[in-house]
Amino acid sequence: MAALSLCSSLTPKFSHSQQNPTPISSKFNLSSSSFLSHSLSSLTLNSRKPPHTLSFVPKSNGTDTEVALAEPENPEAQPVIETVEPKREEVFAVVMVGGRQYIVFPGRFIYTQRLKGADVNDKITLNKVLLVGTKTSTYIGKPIVPNAAVHAIVEEQTLDKKVIVFKYKKKKNYRRNIGHRQPITRIRITSITGYQDSPFVTL
Amino acid sequence: MNKKEVFKLAKGFRGRAKNCIRIARERVEKALQYSYRDRRNKKRDMRSLWIQRINAGTRDHGVNYGNFMHGLMKENIQLNRKVLSELSMHEPYSFKALVDVSRNAFPGNKAAIPPKKEGLAILV
Repeated sequence: MAALSLCSSLTPKFSHSQQNPTPISSKFNLSSSSFLSHSLSSLTLNSRKPPHTLSFVPKSNGTDTEVALAEPENPEAQPVIETVEPKREEVFAVVMVGGRQYIVFPGRFIYTQRLKGADVNDKITLNKVLLVGTKTSTYIGKPIVPNAAVHAIVEEQTLDKKVIVFKYKKKKNYRRNIGHRQPITRIRITSITGYQDSPFVTL
Repeated sequence: MNKKEVFKLAKGFRGRAKNCIRIARERVEKALQYSYRDRRNKKRDMRSLWIQRINAGTRDHGVNYGNFMHGLMKENIQLNRKVLSELSMHEPYSFKALVDVSRNAFPGNKAAIPPKKEGLAILV
């Protein structure tokens, strides 16, 4: 029906959790790790940058980068052991966290401002949902969609990449060199619920 | 900062500025000043880009940016420009729904028809 360009390849954002999280594209590897999935061949761009850098260049928001290049699967190179991912519902939401708005998809992660008092593997509910979109309908919130909630798990509480704050005044012998690392939190979105009863627009 | 750090920051600079400490130090200091200033400019530039994109998206549906935002404000929809520009690019149907909501709230445009396409655009 409506060919919604939900450019979400719903490939889970699996940064190999053993290594350091460098979530550049989910690499197409043939190793039979347990993260192997059906739709492994679709690349999602996900570079590790703070949320406030703006998402038109694919950055922090694992969700905002909708550059999903679906490559045709190589029929010869099919690995023998394949774990089929459970079918994810194709839905997205716009949620407001830490004073900023993000477009989120279930299964992907985002970097937000540090959530105080949240430990790793804590379940979190984000209540300020401004818009929910599915393949067939859009729920527009005025300002929020009533009873909608986005559930997420805290993955990591880290510091952002260092920025050097260098202040200099010429001819006045004034220079200050300060490094700054902003505390951030990485949360992985698990599901979007509670929007079904709200008024919607059918596409 | 010491020389090693200066040269690390001076990677990719032109000519002697990446190799000779006196020149590299000057250029690196200038580069850091620019980055300080541009972290602030980036926010302005990005907002301007989002507005251009939203404008383009709404004009495809016969509404211009000013009336579109006015309609959204009237309806108390608090999506920001970043998200609106992303929706206009990647979620065209949701964006059209938003444009319709705005048009109902504030019918500011005389003719709610998409602009006439000329030349090669007719083929699109």
